[in-house]
Amino acid sequence: METNIRFTHQALIEKCKSGHRSAQYELYTLYVDAMYNIGMRMLGNKEDAEDIVQESFVSAFKNLEGFGYESTFGSWLKRIVINKCINYLKKKDIPVVPIDAHEFHLKVEEKEVTQAVDIQRVKIGISKLPSGYRQIINLYLIEGYDHIEIGEVLGISTSTSKSQYHRAKKKLVEIIKEL
Amino acid sequence: MDNFEKNIRQNASEFDDHRPDRDKMWANISKELETDSTKVIPLWKTPILKMVAALLLLFCVTSFIAYSVINANSGLETQYASKELLDIDKHYQGLVSYQVQLVRNHPKLSETDKSEFLSFMDELDAEYQQLRLEMRNNLDNELVLEAIVTNYKKRIELIENLLKQINDSKIQEDDYGYTL
Repeated sequence: METNIRFTHQALIEKCKSGHRSAQYELYTLYVDAMYNIGMRMLGNKEDAEDIVQESFVSAFKNLEGFGYESTFGSWLKRIVINKCINYLKKKDIPVVPIDAHEFHLKVEEKEVTQAVDIQRVKIGISKLPSGYRQIINLYLIEGYDHIEIGEVLGISTSTSKSQYHRAKKKLVEIIKEL
Repeated sequence: MDNFEKNIRQNASEFDDHRPDRDKMWANISKELETDSTKVIPLWKTPILKMVAALLLLFCVTSFIAYSVINANSGLETQYASKELLDIDKHYQGLVSYQVQLVRNHPKLSETDKSEFLSFMDELDAEYQQLRLEMRNNLDNELVLEAIVTNYKKRIELIENLLKQINDSKIQEDDYGYTL
């Protein structure tokens, strides 16, 4: 079953590999909305999101030969967009991880059980988070990455990702409560 | 994962509330791809094309070698022709200059006869120089070659006639002595 998912849009992707512009456009229309929203969530403004998503599609089409269906095309493309966003933020000196992410945390974070909250309030809460916390919340809760993947993307260890996520989540819940 | 997290993950699509300007973005992507659209297909990797390429290369190399050999041969022929011509030229030139020197040094010839003879020789020499120029421009021209040989022959004939006249007068003088 998982194998079938990985080969989603295979015929279209193969056409794109041969440089068919119409196939490339078709694939673009299938994924552009999702990718643009990732860009918007991570970068926070329209112009930057557009630039990064455009760059990502160009890069994906140029390097499509290297895509061997190890994951879905969507996940592959998403990783390109996220990596480009992180690189862009780093270039602009915007923190992609909380400032204290690399410190040792001897205190074990207490996991708080939180009840479901209205999505609109969560959106507002996320927008009020500091940049470093926002990225980790986005990656874990919305993009669905696990801590191993987050560690790879942000260049931190899995345990740091876990501890920083819990801090970020705690902060988010506090913000939402204050709304 | 608590309810807070589950709720967000299950409703992640609700966070996609931005609409991109698809056409504008595609135009930029397309433009970017256009500049790099000349796709390099490594044809040489195909076994058949590899073989064709090898044959073509072999043909080119053979043709080049054959062309070089033919050219070298024709060059040799030209060289031989030039050498032959040079030998003939040298032979006649030596002959003529020797005989001219004989005439110049001949004690019984008057200065008038000598200068008359040498002016004829100069005329023929000028004609010969002209023919040599012609020959340089067109080595294969047989007519020019014949004209050069004729020129030499005339000069030699002229010298021989002169020497014959001298000798004849000498014989007459000797005969006259004996008659006496």
